[in-house]
Amino acid sequence: MRRAHLLGLGFLSPALAIILMLFLIPVLLTVMFSFTNMSTATGISGGAYEINAASLRKLADAGAQESFVETLGKESFVVDDAGITAAAAAYGEQFANEVGSQMLGERFSSRRDLERAFRKLKSRPRSTRDIKKAANLFKRSVLNIRFETAGGLVGAVTDNGIEMTPDQQELLTKTIYTGWTWTSDNFALMAQIPYVWRVAGNTVLYVVLTLAASVGLGLFLAITTFYLPSSSATSFRAIWFLPRILPNVIFVLMWKWLAWDTGFLSSLFANFGVPPRNWMLDTGVNAWVFIVLINGIVGASLGMILFGSAIKSIPQSMLHASEVDGASRWQQICYIILPQLRWPIMFICAYSTLSLLTSFEYILLSTDGGPGGATEVWSLMAFHTALDNYAGNLQYGLGAAMALMLVIVGILASLVYLRIFNFNDLVAKPRIEQ
Amino acid sequence: MRISIENFTKSFGDTTVIEDMSLEIGDGEMLALLGPSGCGKSTTLFAICGIHRMNAGRLMFGDTDVTEVSSQKRNVGVVFQNYALYPHMNVYENIAFPLKVRKESKAEVDRKVQEIAGLVHIGELLQRRPMQLSGGQQQRVALARALIRKPDILLLDEPLANLDAKLRLEMRSEIRRIQLATGITAVLVTHDQVEAMSMCDRIALMDKGQIVQLSTPKDMYENPSSDFVAGFLGNPPIAFLDGTVADGEFRLANSQVTLPVPSGIEIPGEGAPMRFGVRPEFFQPGNPLKVPGKVSFVETQGREELYDVMLENGAVLRSIQSQNAGFRLGQEVSWGIEQDRVLAFGPDGNRL
Amino acid sequence: MTSSNFRSWPLYLILTVISMPLVIMYVYLFVDTVTDTTAGSLIPDRFTLHHWRFLWEEPETGRVSIWTVTLNTFIFATCTTLINVSASVTAGYALSRLNLPFKRFFLGGILTLHAFPTITLIISIFLILQMIGLYNTLIGVILVKAALELPLGIWIMKGFFDNVPWEIEMAGLQDGASRFTVWWKLVLPQVQPGVAALSVFVFLSAWSEFILPQVLAPSGSAQVLSTYLSNLIFDDMKPDFNMFKSVGVFYALPVIIIYLIFNKQLMNIYGGGTKG
Ligand SMILES: Nc1ncnc2c1ncn2[C@@H]1O[C@H](COP(=O)(O)OP(=O)(O)OP(=O)(O)O)[C@@H](O)[C@H]1O
Ligand SMILES: [Mg+2]
Repeated sequence: MRRAHLLGLGFLSPALAIILMLFLIPVLLTVMFSFTNMSTATGISGGAYEINAASLRKLADAGAQESFVETLGKESFVVDDAGITAAAAAYGEQFANEVGSQMLGERFSSRRDLERAFRKLKSRPRSTRDIKKAANLFKRSVLNIRFETAGGLVGAVTDNGIEMTPDQQELLTKTIYTGWTWTSDNFALMAQIPYVWRVAGNTVLYVVLTLAASVGLGLFLAITTFYLPSSSATSFRAIWFLPRILPNVIFVLMWKWLAWDTGFLSSLFANFGVPPRNWMLDTGVNAWVFIVLINGIVGASLGMILFGSAIKSIPQSMLHASEVDGASRWQQICYIILPQLRWPIMFICAYSTLSLLTSFEYILLSTDGGPGGATEVWSLMAFHTALDNYAGNLQYGLGAAMALMLVIVGILASLVYLRIFNFNDLVAKPRIEQ
Repeated sequence: MRISIENFTKSFGDTTVIEDMSLEIGDGEMLALLGPSGCGKSTTLFAICGIHRMNAGRLMFGDTDVTEVSSQKRNVGVVFQNYALYPHMNVYENIAFPLKVRKESKAEVDRKVQEIAGLVHIGELLQRRPMQLSGGQQQRVALARALIRKPDILLLDEPLANLDAKLRLEMRSEIRRIQLATGITAVLVTHDQVEAMSMCDRIALMDKGQIVQLSTPKDMYENPSSDFVAGFLGNPPIAFLDGTVADGEFRLANSQVTLPVPSGIEIPGEGAPMRFGVRPEFFQPGNPLKVPGKVSFVETQGREELYDVMLENGAVLRSIQSQNAGFRLGQEVSWGIEQDRVLAFGPDGNRL
Repeated sequence: MTSSNFRSWPLYLILTVISMPLVIMYVYLFVDTVTDTTAGSLIPDRFTLHHWRFLWEEPETGRVSIWTVTLNTFIFATCTTLINVSASVTAGYALSRLNLPFKRFFLGGILTLHAFPTITLIISIFLILQMIGLYNTLIGVILVKAALELPLGIWIMKGFFDNVPWEIEMAGLQDGASRFTVWWKLVLPQVQPGVAALSVFVFLSAWSEFILPQVLAPSGSAQVLSTYLSNLIFDDMKPDFNMFKSVGVFYALPVIIIYLIFNKQLMNIYGGGTKG
């Protein structure tokens, strides 16, 4: 590597480090997470194996034989060395030796059986209560014990004398694991969500309507303000540019105030006898109108600026010439101005399609996908699934899989853009060669 | 400081711009790199100052090999075509910048700036910004900045291209004056032959990445080595006649007119193509070797008049004469060529 | 352009009509913060500063003081701007001017990254921040926001560097300055307008950011104005729009002031073409 390259890489390194940490790794992790079942329930670090009431239910649901589940859930009593040592400490060597010599290795399915066996011994403790206690020393169970590894769990289960077929063993370790696991189910799961197609449709509708609104309104504003004297044009442009720089929480707040059941529209229409209602969340159609208006106006701000500067660069003489040729204003717009705007319009469409496809802030803040999911779009669904839902179980894995769809669309789209926007012109050779 | 470029080759990607060029510039000499646009003048200049690396070859300043030395350490001053003044600094700071990066003391910097400002006559402009200067003044500032750290070599890349005609005339002699006053070795890149001839000790004429001729202005004008050189120098330009060798004489193409070949020239074989170059000052009514034709163009240049005379085969000769000659357009004339000043070129364009 | 050949009043009429809703919303946004309106009426009838009480009253339990939140927002926006602009300025220069291996790859990569919106990254960033312990801290949000605006920042700065004449740099080298000095002392001053424009843009963008703080630092101590306001709106059963609007105006004032001052620079960036 040449010294000159080092300088370039040195200058690039801060950006590279940030991009690596906060772009590349997250994208890779999105891919990774989308192949896991991570959720609030599994946690994000590793999990453990534990047989308890809940996990036994899960096991039964997963199709384990009833008898197998039952044995796992039951306690059993085994006369083993550990029990004998404990008994020796509590009730004396004599009792322990007797138990050891006569019963070692025996197994009892209930405490009563073991107690009965104890009663036959000479050196048994005298009181019934002590016998009960002594029996308890031999109680063996895998219930409610945390095992870090599958091996630990299987070992303990076998130690308890529960025989498992390999199938049962696999089913057991798989179902009762509390941490996340690798899986490719998310994509199948996604396809099974009943409303997923409606959300996809919503997304297309949202992009198309908003794009149309913002390009149409943007063109209209750019052209009309172009024909006005500059002072009034500036005020109109300011009115329409403000939505873009106002924080979106505030912009949406203004619309909410407009639409609320105690808000402006309700108060206004009350004068005509219309009962107050929440105009934004009243019906699905209303919600859509507001979504398209809010997003469309923000998009129109950008369109207005871009189209405006494109119109300004049209030579004045061309416009004067067309007027001398007798063109009406409408003809001037159609034949002189619009053809000059082809490129900016294309740019806005290409650019906004992608950003709309993935933007959801305004929807989140205004309708939050409502009423009843009528305005839920894909990115919002991913957001809801992974980061914010009412059920409280955040499904990171599934959400990541949904976001991954958007990543794929994004990569494809930007490859197309690199094509259209003549990338080669942007790569200039340095003219200083040291 | 003597500069020698040995076997210099430069390519950008796949295209080789300069191939195997060698050039020697003497101490205190001012050399012009002259040539048409795109011939590689700036490339050569950038190689001398180190902004471009050489793909092959060697560059010597005096006895030291500087091929691998970085720009900063070569001690070469450069004046760029658009002057490249730093817009955010005033004139004083611009000129002082090379000293500042060398961390010279304030008093020292001040003394040197005043001195150099006096030399290039910009003493009163020191507090202005580059934007507030005329082209000629910017030019002087750029020169001062290039000269302030007493470089061994001064490189000028088309320094006069952005000036109007009158200023150009003035700056031509200014630059030469300053170069002579400092005794610095200088290389001037230009595509203006008048500039090259009037300012420099020697001219290196370049074409397509090669030096086609290297000599003094006078010698190059009178003894061009090829028709390209002859055509490049001289204003109004030389006129060429194409023809062939017939009976040891030069026969004009598509015509019966023959002209004797100048003495001392090795005549190529019978029928070989040949080219005559006649400068306008050597095609005059008074000369003996007459060629008939018709005046096809008259241009009054004030003190002199320029005529084009079309010969019977359609070839054109140029003549420049004093104001009161009074020939009219379309007039039949028979003017003469000064035989010994005719330049004869072979089929490959080289001088015979 | 105005032309004597065409009349203006139809344009005024139609523009005024379609601008009406926005104007009404703006006007009421400000008026409502200092007035009370009887329910059901449209015309405010009493002047009051009551809605601004959040500025001086002790916050309710469970809420953070607005001043802490404002300070957080300011720190968030400032640090984001500093990090983003520093990285953009160096990377933009490298991509515009320096010798770099795989330059095409880097440039293409940055353009592609620009197509990656928040949602595709935020889930994994949320998990990463939790794993490395930067969840619920300002530092985490600052880094993420600075990174997300980085492709745009680099792209804009590259554009500005592209317009600096090469000769200035060549002259600097010839004058004996190192490549770094040339960049710092000669080139950077030439792109000052670009740095200013980018700084204003990133500052505003961070000041307005909602999703990132909402997801990555939702708790009280790291709250910023956007999440503060949206929590206020979402928590309330009976919305007090006048109070929301007062907080909103308080939050929006810096934006409007910055817009008025840096109007030109902002147009430079928006007009130059981007942001979703
Ligand atoms: N960075 C570069 N990459 C590729 N080709 C180049 C580069 N710089 C110069 N060239 C080519 O090298 C040739 C010589 O260029 P150079 O700038 O030396 O010409 P010049 O003689 O200075 O012309 P002019 O009088 O127009 O300035 C030209 O054909 C040019 O296209
Ligand atoms: Mg050149």
